[in-house]
Amino acid sequence: MQLAAARLTLVVSILASFVLQPPRTLAQEAGALSGSVTDPSGQAVAGATIVAKNTATGQTTDARTRPDGRFSFQALAPGSYAIVVTAAGFAPAASNANVPGTSSEPLQIKLAALPNAPAAQTPAASSEPSLADLGFTTQQTQSNPQLQARLARRTEMLKIHQRLGIITTIPMAAAVITGPMAKAKGKNGQTVKEPTQANLDTHIALGGATTALYLSTAYFAIAAPRIPGTEKHGAIRWHEALAWIHGPGMILTPALGIMAYKQENAGEKVHGIASAHGAVAYVTAASYGAAIVAVSWPIHLKFWEKQK
Amino acid sequence: MKRAALVFLLISLPIAGQSAKQWVLDQSTLSYHMSHPMHEVDGVSHAAKGKGTCHDGRCDFLIAVPVNTFDSGDTNRDLHMLETTRGAQFPMVVVRTQLAEPAGSASTIYADLEVQFAGQTAHYAHVPFQLTAAGGKVHIVGTIPATCSDFKIDRPSFLTVPIKNEIPVHVDMVWHPI
Repeated sequence: MQLAAARLTLVVSILASFVLQPPRTLAQEAGALSGSVTDPSGQAVAGATIVAKNTATGQTTDARTRPDGRFSFQALAPGSYAIVVTAAGFAPAASNANVPGTSSEPLQIKLAALPNAPAAQTPAASSEPSLADLGFTTQQTQSNPQLQARLARRTEMLKIHQRLGIITTIPMAAAVITGPMAKAKGKNGQTVKEPTQANLDTHIALGGATTALYLSTAYFAIAAPRIPGTEKHGAIRWHEALAWIHGPGMILTPALGIMAYKQENAGEKVHGIASAHGAVAYVTAASYGAAIVAVSWPIHLKFWEKQK
Repeated sequence: MKRAALVFLLISLPIAGQSAKQWVLDQSTLSYHMSHPMHEVDGVSHAAKGKGTCHDGRCDFLIAVPVNTFDSGDTNRDLHMLETTRGAQFPMVVVRTQLAEPAGSASTIYADLEVQFAGQTAHYAHVPFQLTAAGGKVHIVGTIPATCSDFKIDRPSFLTVPIKNEIPVHVDMVWHPI
């Protein structure tokens, strides 16, 4: 039965490894995409920002045009891309491209001048207020492709964190449920019924799978890029605060479980700190559940509002 | 009651309808509403700035607000909104409209709006706004019927269910002439 437990753990680990593959590693072959950006008169536009968004994965990559108006992406994952070009004084332009391209022709994007750009102004329109008149700082109005890419990476990782977090609840709940079945039953300090080996193995396998999935879930939250200048508030603070309970709990629970298992296998009644395995597991599972509820609390508000 | 209404009109007409050369946005509350079968979220910003310039009987208004100033009550959700709406790439929501000067004295005005957001430009015709004038200031309230598809925004999902396409933006502004 230990072999069965080991197989179960192996299967879960393999499944987890597939789930954990970041989307970018699934792209085996990278492709290039190049082109040029010009103004309405055909002159090169330098410093224009080109954002290529993979329509399947949502992943964005950006580039800037060189002084000759040309740009290139060297390592795009194969797929279909939505291209958005922006430059000061011009209306944003959009285009589509495939990587690898069906045509060897580079993209040619012509920008249209904004209606209120100086060159296009009429005498009456020249008095129209402009964005510069409003008093925003350059930092507020300036495009920041690096931050956009950082946000995209962050969202991508937190989506995996969310999915894995929900998947983790399955073996965790099963491990909590099978816990009492893997415990020796006693009366007046005497063991009257030992757990079956099958129950013990099942519980160990579920505990192992929970730990592996939990650590993977935590990785995607911890490694997600931080956004500078962001002050956290709202439900996310509860979600993170609860991690200080279930995080240590997820380290302590399997450690105590191993101690309890060794004691039972040695024919001893589970004693000492190992006897806290069950209680620590319950607190850990409860705080983990509360952390999920914390970021989903408007669900209850919505139902409550509907009842009114 | 009729007398009160007449007095109000007499007071408000000169204020709201005066041919001020310029108008400045005094206070504002802009809020988008996002709807999901399990969530109702409002993101609020008070950081809009605006200016109106009048000439030849018409006023050109420009209102702009940084995307990252919208607060939905949760940092995580706001950062996700910023990512989804390409808010770092296109950090400003810019609204332009042109109104005839006499429209300022009406209790309801209809505006044709040009909205630049998320790298896209959408036009909304004949959007109604309620207008009240008091103390030399004009209070304007209305809702812009924006949608995610207008700005090519991929609708975010929660538990695999995407939010509704409609993201109406409620506008509450106080303008004063200079």
